[in-house]
Amino acid sequence: MTTVVMAPVPGPDSPAEPARKVRSVAGGADRVFHLSLRGAGLTVLIIMGTIGLFLFYRGAQALADDGPKFLYVQAWEPSSHNFGIATVIVGTLLIAMVAVIFAVPLATGVALYISEYAPRKLRRGLINLVDLMAAVPSVVFGLWGFYFLSEKVIPLAKFLSSHFGWVPFLGIRDADPNNPLEDLTIYKSSTFIAGIVVALMIMPIICSVMRESFTQAPIGEREGAYALGATRWGMIRAVVLPFGRGGMIGGTMLGLGRAMGETIAVYMIISPTFKIQPEILRSGANSVSSLIALKFGAASPFELSALMAAGLALFALTLVVNFGASAVIARTRSGQMT
Amino acid sequence: MPRRRPGLCRFAGLVAVLSIVLPLQVLFASSASAAGYVPISGSGSTWSQNALDQWRRNVNNNYGMTVNYSGNGSTSGRNDFRAGQVDFAISEIPYGLSDGGVLDPLPPRAFGYMPIVAGGTSIMYNLKIGNRRVTNLRLSGDTITKIFTQQITNWSDPAIKADNPGLTLPARKIVPVVRSDGSGATAQFTAWMASQFGGQWDAYCHRAGRNVTPCGFTSFYPTTSDMVSKAQSQGVAGFVAQDSSEGAITYVEYSYARNAGFPVAKVLNKANYYVEPTAGSVAVALLQARLHQDLTQDLSQVYINSDPRTYPLSSYSYMIIPKDTTNNFNTEKGRTLSEFNYYFLCEGQQQADSLGYSPLPINLVQAGIDQTNQIPGATHKLDRNNLTGCHNPTVSPNGGNLVAQTAPQPQPCDAKGPTQCATGTAGARASTPTSNTGGAANGGGAAAGGGGAAGGSGGSGGGNTQGSSPGDTGSGSLAAGSDPSGGAGTTIDPATGEVINGASSTSGSGSSGVSAVPVSVDVADNRRQMVLGSLAAVLLIGLVLGPPLVARKMRGREGAQP
Repeated sequence: MTTVVMAPVPGPDSPAEPARKVRSVAGGADRVFHLSLRGAGLTVLIIMGTIGLFLFYRGAQALADDGPKFLYVQAWEPSSHNFGIATVIVGTLLIAMVAVIFAVPLATGVALYISEYAPRKLRRGLINLVDLMAAVPSVVFGLWGFYFLSEKVIPLAKFLSSHFGWVPFLGIRDADPNNPLEDLTIYKSSTFIAGIVVALMIMPIICSVMRESFTQAPIGEREGAYALGATRWGMIRAVVLPFGRGGMIGGTMLGLGRAMGETIAVYMIISPTFKIQPEILRSGANSVSSLIALKFGAASPFELSALMAAGLALFALTLVVNFGASAVIARTRSGQMT
Repeated sequence: MPRRRPGLCRFAGLVAVLSIVLPLQVLFASSASAAGYVPISGSGSTWSQNALDQWRRNVNNNYGMTVNYSGNGSTSGRNDFRAGQVDFAISEIPYGLSDGGVLDPLPPRAFGYMPIVAGGTSIMYNLKIGNRRVTNLRLSGDTITKIFTQQITNWSDPAIKADNPGLTLPARKIVPVVRSDGSGATAQFTAWMASQFGGQWDAYCHRAGRNVTPCGFTSFYPTTSDMVSKAQSQGVAGFVAQDSSEGAITYVEYSYARNAGFPVAKVLNKANYYVEPTAGSVAVALLQARLHQDLTQDLSQVYINSDPRTYPLSSYSYMIIPKDTTNNFNTEKGRTLSEFNYYFLCEGQQQADSLGYSPLPINLVQAGIDQTNQIPGATHKLDRNNLTGCHNPTVSPNGGNLVAQTAPQPQPCDAKGPTQCATGTAGARASTPTSNTGGAANGGGAAAGGGGAAGGSGGSGGGNTQGSSPGDTGSGSLAAGSDPSGGAGTTIDPATGEVINGASSTSGSGSSGVSAVPVSVDVADNRRQMVLGSLAAVLLIGLVLGPPLVARKMRGREGAQP
């Protein structure tokens, strides 16, 4: 009785008549406005380009010295010319993955609740609250993660590693969970904890992108779904979620981009290691940005160059992720409307 | 070149904000007395930061002086000073040293070194026997080196037992916690290891992938995967102090252990006494410090100081001061900086002891005054030959170092040997019961009681009824009494295979605490766990899927009936 008939979603309104040519007579004010907007757009591009060039220029010395080794060496000892970004790039991706795995379901739930279920009065407050979460400085998240969360997560990490150790990434080789004198520090300072903290930091961004696209789901289609007997959840599944898929993917990718760049919270929580650490529950992690924060102040000129090169790698990676995100958003319905 | 201020690397960023915001009110309130003081800024060591922060607060409250400081590690501090980003730096080691084959270049500006405070690089640890925190651990230099070079990885290691005859330490993994940032504490600690245990240190260095011979001191600890590394003193101390970090050990200035309420290890000196880094023992040790012309320290004689009161890992912390007016430094700032220096060289040293440091001796105060007088704009407020108003606690009538002269001799139980003091150290003053009894480790009758260890090991087996109550008075004698073969002298605990000395546990019945000795017993049955786990999974799936399926079926039946 309550099965929802999945009606084929009608495509965007097909224009019946050929588009009329818009002829605008631009006045002086218009022209100035147009030019200043164009200038603003160009400035962003130039700034981005300059940052990339700067990183490349400053990193060139280290890159030239290191050659292709830069991509696969795990150690980071620039002073003895033995360094590469293998550990930090993998570590960055792992932390970002954990963050996204935690943040996306949470953000989806929050966004759906705010846009579909919450009473109108509550909605405003919730939106503000989520935005407020984005405004909490990352050092606060870091302090909280280091002093509070890293202790509280131990039972979960222990449970996961001892019962789901067969899942890739979740095992810990030499953990000893049955030993009453077990060394618990093995579960601390891990990719997992850093990922959870970063998840809380990227959740607001993902949530607001998702919420925007959910609220844009066409009212006609929503009412159509109700008219066909859909429950609210049925309507959400049939209309809102498919419509908002672009927003969901785009928000996730934006969050991923931010997660990869997160610095100070990660820096405070992890115990930096320079061997690729695929066991995410185990102590020892690393990321490009926390490496830079850690080594920057005490770096010699050559080490600085190496750090810049690492920064360049992160820059390129983030750029790829964000371009991917915008491409995905642009190809979906909600993306085309924005 | 554009360089961000690495101030963001600060753990207690909040504190920094507060220290800027709060004094502002004071500044406005006492603006009359604050006339002429301009804000100055510095960065560097976290080793001496606890003292420096207290002094900064004091000059702020009393004179309306604003001294900003960001503790980002000695190496960063020296880099900041060299780049002209700060007015002064605090560092444990000078410029111009070679670290891992890389020379730390001198700054282009004129500068000088000046000791600000002395202190001990302490070995802070988090260890429990049963549920009782160990507060009286003793370690020899050799053992410390072996721990931090991964040669000793378990607390029950015989080498640690040899240092601690009165303690039965659990078979827990040792987790060395080291600094991940460029740090003066690391430099001091590794300099000591390189000097005293060079072979072991070099071997470790190579294992950790640093191919320099001799490895020498380094500001960046070479790590292996079984270590934890954290940024800044607060980071390592905070990590060790967490409940879940049992088994962790780190090197950090004494004040951090005191503030965290944690004990530090007493370290064996050349006179074969285990000594805590108190103000007195640091002052005694540093009587043997040789100072170069530029006041930088040569600690090789401190490490082997034969005074029984010596704490071998003692050192001075230095301020690097500008001596010209380049890099935005001017006479106005020089005036403020010199006043600040005069303050902490004299008045400030009174608080050194209570903060966990050791006050500067008078000759270094004089040298510090000489250095300060060379800062452009210095007020020359103090006369090096007339320090009557100085209030430095080391000043004694006969010209010696009063703190060193009055430092107490170590207790006999702190001597290397079969006895061990029970008293706590640093921030953890509660005593830890020991099983030594004035000579024979197992001889009964003494107050500390031989029953502690034996009764405890009975408890750890899990088979004895009173095993779950470590610390229970007299459980040692109960264990012996309830054991049918208790009178037979020695028995073997069925669960642990450890020898229970029945006689000593009987005689030790008066002991105030029983230290249980947990041992790892393989009690978990993996098969049963697997069966229970899969049962739980099936139940969970049933709970989730069952109700809807049943409901649908029932509904279908209802729909068919009418």
